[in-house]
Parts: sequence; structure tokens; C-alpha cells
Amino acid sequence: MKPKDAILSASHVGMRFKGLVAVDDVSLAVARGSITALIGPNGAGKTTLFNCLSGFLPGAAGSVVFDGRRIDGLPPHRRSRAGLVRTFQIPRIFHRLTLIENMLVADRAQPGDALFGCFMRRGATLARTRAATEQARDLLALLSIERLADDYAGTLSGGQRKLLELGRVLMTDPKMILLDEPMAGVNPALGGKLLERVEHLRQERGITFLFVEHDMEMVMRVSDRVVVLDQGRVIADGPPDTIRADLRVIDAYLGRADLGASA
Amino acid sequence: MLEFWLFVLATAGIYTIFSLGLLVQFGIAGLPNFGNGAFMAISAYAMAISVVNGLPMWAAAPVGIGAAVLFGLLLAIPTVRLRSDYLAVATIAAGEIVRYLALNLQELTGGAAGTVNLLGPGIAADYNSSWLRFQSGVRGLISNLVGQRVPSDVAFIAILWPVALLLLAAVWYMVRSPWGRTLRAIREDETAVAALGKDVFAYKLQAFSVGAALAGVAGLFFAWQVSSFSPDDFRPTLTFYAFVIVILGGKTNVWAVPVGAVLFAGIFAGTRFLDFWPLSVFASGDRAYLRLVLVGLGLIVLVIWRPQGIFGNRREDALET
Repeated sequence: MKPKDAILSASHVGMRFKGLVAVDDVSLAVARGSITALIGPNGAGKTTLFNCLSGFLPGAAGSVVFDGRRIDGLPPHRRSRAGLVRTFQIPRIFHRLTLIENMLVADRAQPGDALFGCFMRRGATLARTRAATEQARDLLALLSIERLADDYAGTLSGGQRKLLELGRVLMTDPKMILLDEPMAGVNPALGGKLLERVEHLRQERGITFLFVEHDMEMVMRVSDRVVVLDQGRVIADGPPDTIRADLRVIDAYLGRADLGASA
Repeated sequence: MLEFWLFVLATAGIYTIFSLGLLVQFGIAGLPNFGNGAFMAISAYAMAISVVNGLPMWAAAPVGIGAAVLFGLLLAIPTVRLRSDYLAVATIAAGEIVRYLALNLQELTGGAAGTVNLLGPGIAADYNSSWLRFQSGVRGLISNLVGQRVPSDVAFIAILWPVALLLLAAVWYMVRSPWGRTLRAIREDETAVAALGKDVFAYKLQAFSVGAALAGVAGLFFAWQVSSFSPDDFRPTLTFYAFVIVILGGKTNVWAVPVGAVLFAGIFAGTRFLDFWPLSVFASGDRAYLRLVLVGLGLIVLVIWRPQGIFGNRREDALET
């Protein structure tokens, strides 16, 4: 892929914890408006790579260019502001805030978010709160959790927390979303809807997705491209059909013994 | 009896403002600052020192608050990233450092003897006369209004409580605002807040500074009330009392703070009247310490049976991560 078409391009990204090399010289480009899956066995370094890209692991080697701008070295909130936002494998919701409040925290156009902003720009704050609340309710409806809007987020089930986290990320009006296992714990019917949403968001709003997922059905169905990570390295990279047939991938997932001839 | 209640109200007003700062830091932003008493001390000392060095009182007051905020920032910048239990330890140490500095920098603070020695031993320093003039002016006004001479404590309360209520309203509004919401989100999960694009560090500094400024205001009133104070007035227990008040009220409830403060001040000052049996078997000097035991016991009972405080929401508290 030419760097021009890429919204995110990471080159030679590496991360080691003492002796363990968690991410080993990974280079990766993600096309604008694409849906890319990142798969690999447990411990392959998928989440670590996410942390390197989103800035939660300072000290990662290599460079990351997002939307034409170097972002490695920026703290997480600056990367998020640039339009690269993420969710977490174990959802990080604000337990003692309501769903609506969880969503409103993500609002970036809120003048009342500044210290004394609620006094100095009172009218603008109230107006923005109204608009953002409406937007938040629409998003919660989209994720079918709008009837819980005024409940504390801490009362949600694991799957609902995933949905809330996705909704919160959408409130930031992102360019690209990193999803860490979006389907884990979400019931299958809702999961199907979630997939539709992701495809819809890509189409309507041009949002780029990079996601880690173990649900192979989802991976094969929605992604344009699959990147396979094993022991911190990219071992395969291509369209789903090619990956499905790739012996190295089968090897990484199932172990050598199952490979017979190629071993 | 009237005298007793006036004393309770005056103390409660100062505690209200002081605890309000802690509520922002601890209840809302999740930063347990055990050194908040130091901000109060710094403001009181900065004001007193400015006045004896010739600054008018109304100019010295903002100097006091400014000094408290400045010290707040100085303390917050290296510590605020710490996990909450480490932050608690670091702030309690910082508070003690301030107290010991005040004890030992005798040239600056008058040392253990207190602010009477601000200008050195042998000269009685007075930072308070313009405040007392202002207060007696208010006293005269009120006396004229009600038609009889009122105690000077009434004037003090009449100045203190409107300020306290104004600050309560302002903090209430700020806590409900998007700024307060972001602070509460930081209390719940600061990693997630950073992932949403907010500068968590900057918000924590803001919360810390607001708390320090409020402690600063409380420090001014404390200094004006007592006419002379010493480092020992700012022992760590001062901050612990504020924690009792904030927890009593349910940690996040702004309007519970004055109620908690009045309750606390009432119990605290009231225990000296505990001269009935079986408490009367203790000598009166010992009974003064008994109130500390009672306050501590009350807090233990409270956190066991009613961890959400008096006004807190049990459901919300059960969701704690």
C-alpha cells in the first residue's frame, strides 16, 4: 500500500518488557476507510500493539504516522484528540456515572469542560449540553441500550459495557477506532447488529477500523484485510480468504503437529 | 447556651469552606489529600505576614489564597500522578513538612509561640486590627438593626456564612457542570478519560488548586477569628476532621457539607458538656480527650454501617470499582 492511502502507518514498532519482546519490529499500514482485523493466538502481542499505537505504552520503539502526522511520542489524550481513539479489552466504563453522563464525558465541543467554563460561557455550555445529550441518546438507541440511559453504568452487563464503550468512542467523532475484542461477551444477536453498525459507520462516516477479535466468523465476514500476529511479529497480512488458507496462520493457531507435510 | 451555638456556627462555617475543598479533591476527583490543612496554614500565615509587613488586609487576603494555590500546585505537580494510597501518604507528609517549617522558621512565622512573635520576640505583632474594625462595624450595623447589642461572634458569623453559602453554591454548580463530570469520570477510571482525549493531569491540578483555594479562604477566616495562631493549630487532625465531615455527608454531596460541619462542630464542642455519669468519673481534663475518642468511634461506626454517609446514595456506593 502506498503511504498516501494509509490513515495509519506504523513502522518498526517494538516493545520489550525486560527480556520479553512483546512486539517485535511490526510495520503496518491501515487504509483509510477500511476495516482491518488483527488476529493471533493469546500472547501474540495484539493488545500491546494497540497500546503502542494509542500511546498507553510510552517508550515503544518505531514511528507511528496518523492522518499525515507523527504521533509517536504524543501522550494518549493527544493521540485521541488527533482522531485515533480506542476501546479496551475489559471495558473501562465510569461505574458511578449514568450512561448518558458516560457519553457526555466524551464530548469534545463542550466549553463547560474547562475550569470555570460553566460560569464564563454559561449559555454555550447549556446549549452544547442539550445538543450533545440528544446526540448521546441517538447513539445509545443505535446500540439498543437507550432504555438504560439514566442508569448507573456500573449496573450494565459485560456485553452492554462493550456497547457503551463503543458509543462513548463514537461521541468523540473519531477518524479511526481501535477496537479491542468488541464481540467478547456481547450476545450473538446483538453482535450481529454491532457488525452492521461498524460497516454502516465505515460507509456513512468514513471511519476506519482496526480491531482485535477472536471470533473468526466476525473477522472473516467484515474485514477487508486480516493481519496475523504471532510472538510479536506479523506473520501474515492479506484479504480474509488468503489468510484462511495460509499455512503459517494455521501453524500459529494450532501448533506444528497438525500441519503434517509442511512441518 | 447562645454562646455555645455561636461558637459551633463559627467553627462549622470555617469547616464548611475547608471541607468543601476536600470534597472537590477527594469526593469528586478521587484525590485523597491529607495535607489540606497545610493550605489553610499557608494562607493564614501569608496573610498575617503580609499585614504585619504593611499590606492592607484586603490586599493581604488574596495574597494568602494565592499562596495556598501556589503551594497546592507545587505539591500536586509531582504527586498527583500517584495512585490514591500513595498520594494520601505523600500529602500527609507534605502537610507535616509545612507545619514543621512554620515551627522552625521563627524569623518568618514567630515559631511555636505563634503569630504574636511575627515581628520577633518582645514585640507583640498584630495582623488583625483592621479585621476587628471591619467586624465591629458589621456588629454595630446588626445591633442597630435588631435594636440591641449583639455579641461579636454574631458579626463574625454574619460575614462568614454568606461567604460560605456563596462558595457552596459556586462549587455545587461547578460539580454539576461538565468540568465536574469529567472529574468524576477521572475518579472512576482515569485511563478511560485519557483515551477519550482529556488531559487528566491538567484536570487533577485544577481540582487540587480549587481545593487549595477553598482551604485558603478557610485559613483566612480562621486567622481572623483567633487573632493569634501557631503551627500547632494545623495538626493533621484538622484535615482528618474535614474527612469526617465529607464522608459524613456522602462524599459527593455539596449541600451535606454544611450539615456535616454543624453536626461535627456541635458534637466536638458539645462533648465538653458531657459531665453526667458515667462520663463524670473522668476528670474534666481527660474528658476533653474523650471527645476525640467519640468522634473517632462515630466515624468507625459510620463507615461500617453506613458507608455511604448520611446523605449518600447506597446504590451508587455499591458500584464502587
